[in-house]
Amino acid sequence: MELSHKKTACIIDDDLIYISLVKKIIERKNLCNKLLVFNDGKQSINYFETLLDTIDSDAIPEIIFLDLNMPIMDGWEFIERFKKIKNKFSKSIELYVVSSSINPTDINRAKAFNEVNDYLKKPINIDALEKIFKYNNAS
Amino acid sequence: MLKNVTSRVVNDIDIGYWELKSGELYWSEAFLSVLGYSEKNLKISLDFFLKNLIHKEDSNLFRNNFFGLIKSNVNFRQSMLIRTKKGTYKEFVCTTNQNLSFKLEKDSKLIFFNKRKFKTNKKLKKDKFYFKQATEMTRTGSWYVDFIKQKSYWDQQSRRILEYPEDYIPSLKNSEKYYSEAHKRLARKTFIKCAVYGKSFNIELKMVTSNNREFWVKAMGKPVYNTKRDIIGIRGVFQDIDAAKTKELNLLKTSNIIASQNKRLFNFAHIVSHNLRSHSSNLTLVSQLIDSFESPDEKLELLDNVKDIAVSLNDTIEHLNEIVTIQTNINKIKSEVKFNCALKQVLSSINQIIIRENALINSDFSKVEAIDYIPAYMESIMLNLITNAIKYKHPNRPPVINIKTYTKNAKPVLEISDNGLGIDMEKFGANLFGMYKTFHYNSDAVGIGLFITKNQIEALHGEITVESEVNKGTLFRIFF
Repeated sequence: MELSHKKTACIIDDDLIYISLVKKIIERKNLCNKLLVFNDGKQSINYFETLLDTIDSDAIPEIIFLDLNMPIMDGWEFIERFKKIKNKFSKSIELYVVSSSINPTDINRAKAFNEVNDYLKKPINIDALEKIFKYNNAS
Repeated sequence: MLKNVTSRVVNDIDIGYWELKSGELYWSEAFLSVLGYSEKNLKISLDFFLKNLIHKEDSNLFRNNFFGLIKSNVNFRQSMLIRTKKGTYKEFVCTTNQNLSFKLEKDSKLIFFNKRKFKTNKKLKKDKFYFKQATEMTRTGSWYVDFIKQKSYWDQQSRRILEYPEDYIPSLKNSEKYYSEAHKRLARKTFIKCAVYGKSFNIELKMVTSNNREFWVKAMGKPVYNTKRDIIGIRGVFQDIDAAKTKELNLLKTSNIIASQNKRLFNFAHIVSHNLRSHSSNLTLVSQLIDSFESPDEKLELLDNVKDIAVSLNDTIEHLNEIVTIQTNINKIKSEVKFNCALKQVLSSINQIIIRENALINSDFSKVEAIDYIPAYMESIMLNLITNAIKYKHPNRPPVINIKTYTKNAKPVLEISDNGLGIDMEKFGANLFGMYKTFHYNSDAVGIGLFITKNQIEALHGEITVESEVNKGTLFRIFF
């Protein structure tokens, strides 16, 4: 897992249990060496908007896992805001929507965004998670 | 030959007819008098008749018929217009070979002139019978308003439907009294539109009988014009459709109840699947982890997560249970709930918080003091809205909550407003009453209160609305 040591990932989700489980997987499998956690869209978009001025490339995550149903600012609004700033970052950022919603409307709506790489249904599969990190690494 | 026909009057019977006997023409006295003539002031001859009496459009046919009868004995039947002495035309049916009650001389031929009126009269009587049947069976009354005479006229059926005596004279000036309070305006507007712009109408509205019974009618009417195209009146009919309309309204009501129940069930199904799914997916994730971890210590560590999931799953189940209870509780007996008492109860239970937050609560229940409701729901609704108002108070000022009741559209309304943080309606309006929706950074926000409040209100067929402005405050209205 040497390749992954530079990786920074970001989870935006209000489900604390889910976060702690994903954290465990990432740590155990050593999928990345920095994990950012936000409990709603607003906190995270504020973070990304201030990141635009930073030169510390480690602070910019390569991968974002975004929940849809969250208080204050939900995943949809986050995507809209993120769209506007995505290309201004010095590296490319992959965005995965991770939601317990199995509603086809949600799935299609999310996949319709160019900024969204894929839609993952909860429960997230450990192998699938690993693959995302590896694939991102290879690219 | 016919030039020889000499004119004479036959006067033995009271029937309008001509007699042709031995080349001579006789007209019956009745024939002359019905036209306003006597034998003295006109010349009895076919020529005179063809030139001066019969309408010129009927004249040729009659001439042919007449000669056909004389020469070839061909019977005929023809209707025609004949000019009276006054210069107006009367319609006659002219026939030959009628069965006669009097003795006919040999070689004599008769042509009868029956006034059309007698014939149509029979038909009219028959039509009138059918008409009456139709109006009675369909419960339709007709009326006419004469703008020139400033009078209004009703047929008997109208009087019957509106429960007025047969000699009742309808009032034009006071015609609004025939319409229900709720529809007076509609009736007036419709009438004026018809009277001024000539717009005919077909509407459903409620009328009132002389016994103050309200009932639904279908009212149709159209303007009446004079030759100058001025509107000189309105003619119309109204049909008693109360039975059908009442059924329709009941059906609509039932259908609305079913629709709202269906919506709630659908929401509930969505909530169940969504909220339970998040726990079940966490459980699945834990079990995946247990499988992938090798050391027993690591596996044991995951037990804490299982415990957490169990707790939140239990919370969700309890919330769902609470909602199911709302649905099943609506059959509980309602009783008179005094707003004042309910509020007192609520305030005493949150007394500590009120004092701590220095909250001011004003109430005015003078307009509506009490309603029939499930007491526990009333307290729960008030408790939720008041605690919310305090919880989401504005940081710069102590909370002030105003509570009042009034009636709108004959329904009691409870209004609770605050001066708190407010909610961004554009962003959150749609989700405001959703389950597990929170809109502020409060650690104790669960997102269940407003959801339950809305469910309680709707389960009892009420409605809750909200107005809010960020940093100004929020206003909830409950329509019972």
